Amino acid sequence: MSAKTTEKKQNAFLNNPIVKAVGTQRLIALLALIIIYIVFGAISPSFRQYSTLVSIFDASYYIGFMAIGVTFAITTGGIDLSIGTVLVCSSLVTGALATKYNVPIALCLIICILIGAIFGLLNGLMVSYMGLPPFIATLGSMMLSKGFGSIFTKAQSVTWPQATEAAGWFRNIFKINIVGANGMSTPIPTGFILLLIVAILMATLLNKSRPGRYIVALGSNIEATRLSGVNVAKWQTLAYIISGTMAGIAGIAYAAVYSTLLPGGGAGFELDAIAGVVIGGTSMSGGYGTIAGTLIGVFIMSVLKTGLPFIGLQTHYQQVATGLVLIFAVFMDVANRKKRN
Amino acid sequence: MKKKLLSVLMCATMVSALVAGCGSKAPAESTTDQSKTDTTTETTDKTDTATTDTASGDMSIYIVSKGFQHQYWQAVLKGAEEAAKELGVTIDFKGPDTESDIAQQVQMLNNALNNKPAAIGLAALDTEACLEGITKAQQAGIPIIGFDSGVPGAPEGAIAANAATDNYAAGELAADETYKIIKEKIDSATSTVRIGVMNQDATSESITSRGSGFIDKMKSLIEADGKTVSIEGHDKWTNKVDGANVIIDVAVPAQVTAELSSIDAQNLLNKADTICIYGSNQHSGEGLITGDANLNKLGTSVVGVAFDSGELIKSAVKSGKLAGAVTQDPVAIGRNVVELAVKAAKGESVSNVDTGCKWYTADNMEDADIAPNLYD
Repeated sequence: MSAKTTEKKQNAFLNNPIVKAVGTQRLIALLALIIIYIVFGAISPSFRQYSTLVSIFDASYYIGFMAIGVTFAITTGGIDLSIGTVLVCSSLVTGALATKYNVPIALCLIICILIGAIFGLLNGLMVSYMGLPPFIATLGSMMLSKGFGSIFTKAQSVTWPQATEAAGWFRNIFKINIVGANGMSTPIPTGFILLLIVAILMATLLNKSRPGRYIVALGSNIEATRLSGVNVAKWQTLAYIISGTMAGIAGIAYAAVYSTLLPGGGAGFELDAIAGVVIGGTSMSGGYGTIAGTLIGVFIMSVLKTGLPFIGLQTHYQQVATGLVLIFAVFMDVANRKKRN
Repeated sequence: MKKKLLSVLMCATMVSALVAGCGSKAPAESTTDQSKTDTTTETTDKTDTATTDTASGDMSIYIVSKGFQHQYWQAVLKGAEEAAKELGVTIDFKGPDTESDIAQQVQMLNNALNNKPAAIGLAALDTEACLEGITKAQQAGIPIIGFDSGVPGAPEGAIAANAATDNYAAGELAADETYKIIKEKIDSATSTVRIGVMNQDATSESITSRGSGFIDKMKSLIEADGKTVSIEGHDKWTNKVDGANVIIDVAVPAQVTAELSSIDAQNLLNKADTICIYGSNQHSGEGLITGDANLNKLGTSVVGVAFDSGELIKSAVKSGKLAGAVTQDPVAIGRNVVELAVKAAKGESVSNVDTGCKWYTADNMEDADIAPNLYD
């Protein structure tokens, strides 16, 4: 009797139109995001400030673009570990081009994205045509990109042009400072609009287009997809190209917000992005990907990144807290799936 | 068939890319490599290498730095190369990828030992981790010269001499100069005020000494004026006093990356009672400036003080966002480490060299005794 009612209740919950539209995992993630934000805000008054919100957006751009890209690689059942160092590599190289070789910024931004795309292509070819396991292939290109960035800049840090300089206009893509009547400038996180547009485009590509459907299909069963006459290698490569390209865009976002790039850095960035993807509900074993979920996961990561120092947690406790949230979020997803099956 | 061809092609391109990569690496480092080899080949006669006990001609010195991420190290390298050229010795200047890569640095030290150089220059990221290598060097009779932050806490006699900024004194200098600026604010404060200290890490001696020098000096200066001080934020420095007039709040990021330091800075800037923030090296100083981008408090309601230079810090000092900064003399550090190493290798007695530091502001940064130490 009681079992029946709980089952009914559960079904009612699962069949609720809102829950259906958003998806349970995404709903859990969204709730978690809101709860974390409220808890941080309750503990730290300065966390509630507008400028902190801008900082959360600041941190979400580079993680966000990487995460949107890597969602494609993960959906194919693979992984892209190179995105963090590709971000740093592309941004280092083009930052050096801009400051040391006086290449126009617009051209630099294009080159930055191109470098990402080339690494993506390399990953794709290694995985699909050479048959390397994605983990190893992208681990290799992670080291390659780390090395190339350092070689090109002679292992020196690069500082992109400041907002006050003419060449610093690209920063306005991500943040515009509006100077009010009292002379105080208010930052507007315009990068969120770009992130949202890219997310919508990529969500359409992943779930509403033919290439996207192939990527999902080969992620759930590559042999069956191949046997049904789909050029699996081609679409698998595309997924990695998207992943790399997005890492290139993330490189611009990182430079626009944090100015300075350190050669040899970037390893570890990819884990923030991958954590965001997984929290959002994309399956690590492939065959299912959700960009909307990824976006929510990214904001959980950037709220944690920005907020943990604000609530007075020391460095090492911050890492512990982030790890716990990740494990808990993914456990919720796993438990949920088991129940449904 | 087609697939095989493709994979062969892929392999070929990757190998060629690798070769091209190595090729392009050569010119990047050629300036150093060339000068190294040139200086040796000029002076060494290959036939009598066995009997060169007095000539320093084929003397090779390994220098293990903390990496090249910050331009500061380029200035150290420059000094070292100059000295090597003058003295006619070969130097091999190495450094890990990032200043968090302690294991990689240990590996470099071990590699250096395997090459049996005449002497080793070492700027340890973490002394404990390097201890084994240091002991081996001692057993092999290879003198070690510490530089930059040196090798603090090394066993007695293991380090022949240090060529370094007295980092503790440098931190004190920063505190002295900062206190002059904020004294009035502290005196006139009716409630608690906060001084932020941003340290890149809590393991390397240069960083922790600069932090400690600043914190200790600031504490004694404030207490001399009859106020109480509480130190909070990081276990290494914590000394909590309830109801203190001044809180010194120490922030250390989980990793040396720009975004984490920037968030630390924002957190400090956001606290309503913060009157001053000190960044104890180039990285922390840059994090401070980047973190201020959303808040614009530096130079108005909060006094910013940094360390070293670099484009961002220089322009912030110039524009008044930062009240001032302490600069070391990296070129002198590089020169001294090579000079000391050569002396030690020849068996001459060597002693520590303090390479000094200076306080600079927008007013004196163009002066002849400051400008050469400020790098982009």
